[in-house]
Amino acid sequence: MLRRFPCSSTHLCVLLAIIALAATVAAQGLDPSALLHPPADSWPTYHGDYSGQRHSKLTQITPDNVHQMTLAWAFQTGQTQQIKATPIVVNGIIYITTPDNLWAIDARSGRQIWRYTYPANDGFHIGHRGAAVYKDLVYLTTPDAHLLALDARDGTVKWNVVIADAKKGYWSTNAPLVVRNHLLVGVSGDFDNLPGILKSFDPETGMTQWTFYSTPPPGTPNSESGGATGGQMWMTGTYDPDLNLVYVGTGNPTPVLNGPVRRGDNRWTCSIVAINPDTGALAWGFQASPHDTHDWDASEVPVLVDADFAGTRRKLLLQASRNGYYFVLDRTNGKNLLTTPFATVNWAKGVDAEGRPIPLEDKEPSRDGRLVAPDEAGGTNYRSPSFDPATGLLVVSAHDAYGIYFFKPEHGRYGWAGADYNVHGRGVLRAIEYETGKVRWSHDLSGGAGAAGVLTTASGLTFTGDSAGSAIALRTSDGSTLWHSGIGRVGNGPVTYELDGRQYVLLGGGSAVYAFALP
Amino acid sequence: MRKRSSPLTLTSVATLWLLVCCGAIRGSAEQAGRGQSSPAAQPPPQTATAQQYPLAQIESGRSRFAAQCGFCHGRDAAGGEGGPDLTRSPLVAADVRGDRLLPIVRTGRPDKGMPAFTLPDADLAAIVAFIHDQKKQADEATGGRRAVDITDLQSGNANDGKRYFDGACSRCHSPSGDLAGIANRLQGLPLLQRMLNPAQGARGGGAGRGVPTVTVTTGTGEKVTGRLAYRDEFTIALTDESGWYRSWPARQVTFTIDDPLQAHVDQLGKYTDADMHNVLAYLQSLK
Repeated sequence: MLRRFPCSSTHLCVLLAIIALAATVAAQGLDPSALLHPPADSWPTYHGDYSGQRHSKLTQITPDNVHQMTLAWAFQTGQTQQIKATPIVVNGIIYITTPDNLWAIDARSGRQIWRYTYPANDGFHIGHRGAAVYKDLVYLTTPDAHLLALDARDGTVKWNVVIADAKKGYWSTNAPLVVRNHLLVGVSGDFDNLPGILKSFDPETGMTQWTFYSTPPPGTPNSESGGATGGQMWMTGTYDPDLNLVYVGTGNPTPVLNGPVRRGDNRWTCSIVAINPDTGALAWGFQASPHDTHDWDASEVPVLVDADFAGTRRKLLLQASRNGYYFVLDRTNGKNLLTTPFATVNWAKGVDAEGRPIPLEDKEPSRDGRLVAPDEAGGTNYRSPSFDPATGLLVVSAHDAYGIYFFKPEHGRYGWAGADYNVHGRGVLRAIEYETGKVRWSHDLSGGAGAAGVLTTASGLTFTGDSAGSAIALRTSDGSTLWHSGIGRVGNGPVTYELDGRQYVLLGGGSAVYAFALP
Repeated sequence: MRKRSSPLTLTSVATLWLLVCCGAIRGSAEQAGRGQSSPAAQPPPQTATAQQYPLAQIESGRSRFAAQCGFCHGRDAAGGEGGPDLTRSPLVAADVRGDRLLPIVRTGRPDKGMPAFTLPDADLAAIVAFIHDQKKQADEATGGRRAVDITDLQSGNANDGKRYFDGACSRCHSPSGDLAGIANRLQGLPLLQRMLNPAQGARGGGAGRGVPTVTVTTGTGEKVTGRLAYRDEFTIALTDESGWYRSWPARQVTFTIDDPLQAHVDQLGKYTDADMHNVLAYLQSLK
């Protein structure tokens, strides 16, 4: 007998059918259009919304009461990997990742709902930025450059596709970006001479929609890049729905420290590129570091702000870049409006007509070494900044540092192709006035390295972590400390959401997730 | 080493410091430059105790190493982004079947950004086998690697360096005092790194070099002076004369810190590359 439902009684069959129908109608999945106006009870995408501002309108926790903020719950991953991922919060469920791992956690209690562990693999297990959600699916990228779609309800694998060939040296730490019916995923691959890849997948099926190459793929003329490979797009981009453009930062060229074998600007490495999400076509590019020889990718978040610039309302793009310079672009066309340093730099002799710093040839890595600021870790790095519209401040985890850079022909022309060493560094949180690039305040982070991503809220608070292992809350207008908790090194971007009338602030401390709220 | 509880002997702490200074060679994961001859290449430290490992274990270690260690140390263990070249590491040379390496792998080196790893014993043994095999292959390979050799660092002028030294460094240092014979004790890249920032890799390493002194005045007016043990925005701590660690909430006391090495940090923004190479040349003449 052929049964449509594996039921033992007709009544149960009907009941199950009704439940199934009800579940379909009342689906709790995330409608991708919600990303245009994220509800207050969610943090539905890597940056919280498409702008990359990481600014929340929630105001329950204020500068006046934040000193009362206390632990609501903590979730221990039981792993040694530091949490570098931004949590995604949808339908009262938090999705948090480390390499090979995705946990679904109750956003009210911190209890684990389910956990998915990817099979052991040989990819780099260096970090992971986070998950993405589309309808009933949650996505995980893997150290061996696969993309998995899991059922967001129970962690069941729906499909598993290859993003790029891990055997060639690609891996992925990427938190995918959902734009309507596109799922944009990037990869890393700095240790091999590989072209930079950003791919768009059908979020339902995993079919590839398009591939964007930042440097020419093998077998194509590479005159555009001057022989350089690289330009990996390992960070999550931002999106302007009116212009229908996705903005992504690209990585450094390879070979990394060997400049002589790849003369010229090496387009589109160390650049901000604007891409049409429907076609993968490049609309424009701006190169933050032409001919980089110091590993300073421009992968940092391109923050989208609509604000006055020189008296005119404009669609702006702000980036505090790893090379130590702060850039303001007109995001309709990529034209530069401002270029000015925000961290210690000594590698450029000026700014060209297009607003790009001009590298000093003397600061290219050499046989006898060059003392260069910043060092390889850069003036900032993957840690997300936050833009506070009320004060007009871009708050950035900055790093004043020196390194010594070496290259000689014996180092070859593959991969790193050179040697460099940090000499000294200091982590400093800096608040940059968006229109002038002037630093309004600096807050020392008590250590040699950059620490955490940044969150600002409409009540005038800035949340981040310092380099010594404390989560901190500052007054956004002046950078003064209002609250701290020694939860361990905060490696990710804090997020906030409101559930049942209570505002939570989530931070990763070491390998645990901490939720703070008012008592 | 911040983790004092790790089972490290004083010797291995010192060796670790050497590892930081001598072995920190970064490079691509591929064997760039290998096979090209460089007569000036410094030989890596010799393996103290010869060890044999089964091929299957080495191969297993290759994939586990790539996944867990490869980003920082390179897939070939010859240095990656941030982590040193293990094939030139004195610690690896001294290691016998993981006796030196595994304590570090298990506890991590948080002050250097190395996390602790919790891995099955079989994986750890395979990783050790792979590192030793890579070292053996590196030792047998001829020619230059992604190393900085002493001969690379001879571009300076010692006379110009002496002039610069007399102006910028002689307030704290003397060629016949603390720096007498420095070139016999340190050469090449380690000497350059020490010159630029003596604090790096030295502080907390047991040697006590350049540790800042702090004087804390408590709310009751008590003054305590000692070696700075810890400082962040919220806590100040010192090791007092009797060797005890004492800490205070930073906002409830006043304190002054005398950091003898701050001048080195300030100097980084003042050196030209020529100054740096000249001063190095001068230091290299102090034998």
